[in-house]
Amino acid sequence: MKVAKFFELAKQHGLASCEVGISRSTSIDMNVYQSEVENYSVASSRVIYARGIFDGKMGFAMSEKDDAKTPEYLVKQIKISAGSSESDDIAIIFEGSEKYKKRNMFNAKLSAQSEEEKLQNLFLIEKKLKALDPRITDVESASYSESESQLELYNSFGLKLKEKDNHFYYYGSVVVKSGEEVKTGYKIFLDNNPEKFDIDAFVKAVAEDGLSKLGGKPCKSGKYPTLINPKVTASLLAAYLGSANAERVQKKSSLFIDKIGQKVASSKITVLDAPLSKNIFYSYFDGEGVAKFNKSVIEKGVLKTYFHNLSTAAKAGVEPTANGSNSGGKIGISISNIILKPGRKSVEDVMKDVELGFYLTEVQGLHSGLNPTSGDFSLQASGFMIRDGKFAEAVNLVTIAGNLQKLFLDVKAVANENELQLSSYTTSSILVKKLAVSGE
Amino acid sequence: MITKNVAIQVLNAALATGGDFAEIFLEETYSNNIEVDSGKTQPPSSSISYGAGIRILNKLQSVYGYTNDLSLKGLVKLATQLSASFSGEQTVFVEKIEKVKFKNKHKIKTALSSVDTKEKIALLKKGDATMREFDGRIVRTIAVLIMNNRHIEIFNSEGKHFQDAQERVRFVLQAIAMQPGAFETGFTGPGAHSGFDFVEGLDVEKEAREVADLAIRKLSAKDCPSGVMPVVIGNGFGGVIFHEACGHPLEASAVSKGLSPFAGKIGQKVAHESVTAIDDGTIPNAWGSNNIDDEGVATQRNVLIKDGILQNYLIDRFNGRRMKQESTGAGRRQSYKFETTSRMSNTYIAAGPHNPEDVIASVKLGLYAKKLGGGSVNPTTGDFNFAADEAYIIRDGKICELVKGATLIGNGADIITKIDMVANDLERAQGMCGAASGSIPVDVGQPTLRVSAITVGGQGGKLQ
Repeated sequence: MKVAKFFELAKQHGLASCEVGISRSTSIDMNVYQSEVENYSVASSRVIYARGIFDGKMGFAMSEKDDAKTPEYLVKQIKISAGSSESDDIAIIFEGSEKYKKRNMFNAKLSAQSEEEKLQNLFLIEKKLKALDPRITDVESASYSESESQLELYNSFGLKLKEKDNHFYYYGSVVVKSGEEVKTGYKIFLDNNPEKFDIDAFVKAVAEDGLSKLGGKPCKSGKYPTLINPKVTASLLAAYLGSANAERVQKKSSLFIDKIGQKVASSKITVLDAPLSKNIFYSYFDGEGVAKFNKSVIEKGVLKTYFHNLSTAAKAGVEPTANGSNSGGKIGISISNIILKPGRKSVEDVMKDVELGFYLTEVQGLHSGLNPTSGDFSLQASGFMIRDGKFAEAVNLVTIAGNLQKLFLDVKAVANENELQLSSYTTSSILVKKLAVSGE
Repeated sequence: MITKNVAIQVLNAALATGGDFAEIFLEETYSNNIEVDSGKTQPPSSSISYGAGIRILNKLQSVYGYTNDLSLKGLVKLATQLSASFSGEQTVFVEKIEKVKFKNKHKIKTALSSVDTKEKIALLKKGDATMREFDGRIVRTIAVLIMNNRHIEIFNSEGKHFQDAQERVRFVLQAIAMQPGAFETGFTGPGAHSGFDFVEGLDVEKEAREVADLAIRKLSAKDCPSGVMPVVIGNGFGGVIFHEACGHPLEASAVSKGLSPFAGKIGQKVAHESVTAIDDGTIPNAWGSNNIDDEGVATQRNVLIKDGILQNYLIDRFNGRRMKQESTGAGRRQSYKFETTSRMSNTYIAAGPHNPEDVIASVKLGLYAKKLGGGSVNPTTGDFNFAADEAYIIRDGKICELVKGATLIGNGADIITKIDMVANDLERAQGMCGAASGSIPVDVGQPTLRVSAITVGGQGGKLQ
């Protein structure tokens, strides 16, 4: 679509100002099963989304169809959208930030590697997994996925922004059996530099994830000092930080109402919003075109800021924090590239004084078993017991129950792993004083 | 969206290197959502999803790709790129294509597009206002209309052309109640493969009062106790237990690789004899129904388990190859961006002989999970979890105090052996199911039933 044509048509129809985003992506996916390529897919897609202000209200629409009628469809839908709106969001199309910290994170090495080489890696992963341990009875999947995406943002003030990135991941999953018992294990490796992929380390991690669960049983119900691994810490932290979403605060469905400057976590907890981190989640402008910047969100347990877009910031009378997200033209708030500041001690040191405790390595049902508004959770969980400061027997099919706020206030220590998770959070293990585990 | 002539050229390009089957799936979907949040209409959203997916099969291999470029050039380019995965000679040739006719079982009386936005908003506001006026402790209310109009076309190398239009609507109400120290929510979301007539048929005020009432009552509910106990699961959305714990492991994607606990067990007893379970994609105007699946196969009423004996699986074309079985019309996908796989449609446990009151009366001390919320399952191991949205303690056969924060956890293959009493009040409820081929509309359903023992998680200590 010709952006200029859209802006011209929008003006004719009385839209005061407007914005167009064009997102394009291509991807390749392949999956190997029993020494054969089971699935191979390629994709290219494009989506156009547009917003505009009509009669003082914001309206929006999106289309994957791009033909002569697209500008007309978008303008018409924007007018219907704005015309019906009674939203008290403040309608702003952004004129632009003074400075943008643009960095090229696109890695050309990725497309330089041949598809054949990637495929051979998958065959190798499957072969190595099968040979590793007789209890590995099947390799459910060895797959590779690669994508490249590009986003362009234009508005009627002349703002033009462009970002291009790429990444890949390998996914391996195994079925392990011991007698009648069946467990599964998996691992994902995500990056944009193919040279960082260590196939042997990956295979070992996939196998270990499955094998370590064998023999897992529910433990005795009780309240245990609990060490939470970096992956689960990231999930729980993401759910907790949802309360710092300014939209939720302003709509009064957050735990953090009136909590700026107050203690929301133990003094061991410092959390940074770091969108400019040099990892694959790097991004330099938000969904409304605001320049992103790094900042602390929780400092030694004290809440420093909410996450704002332009409208929530204007309502609260504060500077925007560049957390605006754009989903099909609809503006919301997104939180990514969060860093939980690591502690000094290793995991071994952190757990060495725990005589009897629980090591939480996996939770299920976060979308249903956690009430984001109250912070109460009750989740299916698995992990290991900790006995005399060391990891002991596997624990499976238990539930953990508690409250997010209480859990983060109860953190006794943060370990020093500093692992980047798939969710874009960089986290370490945390040790909490007590968590209710219900099993037998 | 494309002519037969274009389809023939694209299919032949796809088959040029020896593929034994090729298919083009085209989609143009118009979606509109309107949301009223605490009395205020939010800007309605509208979108067009538009594109084509091409699939080539060669024995047990499949390649798939999609694009928004529906020109002959764009589609041939994609077909050629995909066919490069194979290196043989063309063995299947497409010369002509004929349209396959079928009867439309899902009649639309009032098309969604024929109703003015103002009228839709008025209905949402009625629901929203009823919830807000119910009690001063209701602090936020949300009413949403989700509407879409999906046009699909399928051309395949068997020379067949299918075309269908699917209109769906869902009416969602949510209330959030608050008092110092407590937040609770109530929710309902009826939907259908239908036009606006479905929404007009709803008693919006009654639905709204029930949602608000539940949120308010939960404010003063105690924490659910934990432990292993008998649980009566309510009808309707309670069927999510079967959907998650047994429906997913009965899908060919898990069964064909022998990864499901139900693999190889046709004809064997896998559940208590009280259990008969059905997946029926043909129910007129039901949320999970379609005339044809996304591979062009007519949907079916598929009896999965009869009186505890495993009868059949949910099978799509590709996984059916590995199993040497025909498709059961279960090949579904969210959109052209997904390759089809075996999925559920409207899945439910059939009605039994008992009155629901008698099922509850049979429990001395246990839980009545009247409404379940969401859940998830590992299809290989069958381990599952569900949250109960509305649950009560049963004492001496009577429904007693409301409890909150209950989670049911267990294993699918195990739990269906413990469903030992089934009532006669079958109901279905609507949901969205997410899996490899995306998020699709499905009905879950069941009558009130008793599970003799299940692990309940909650913060309320031991049940006494």
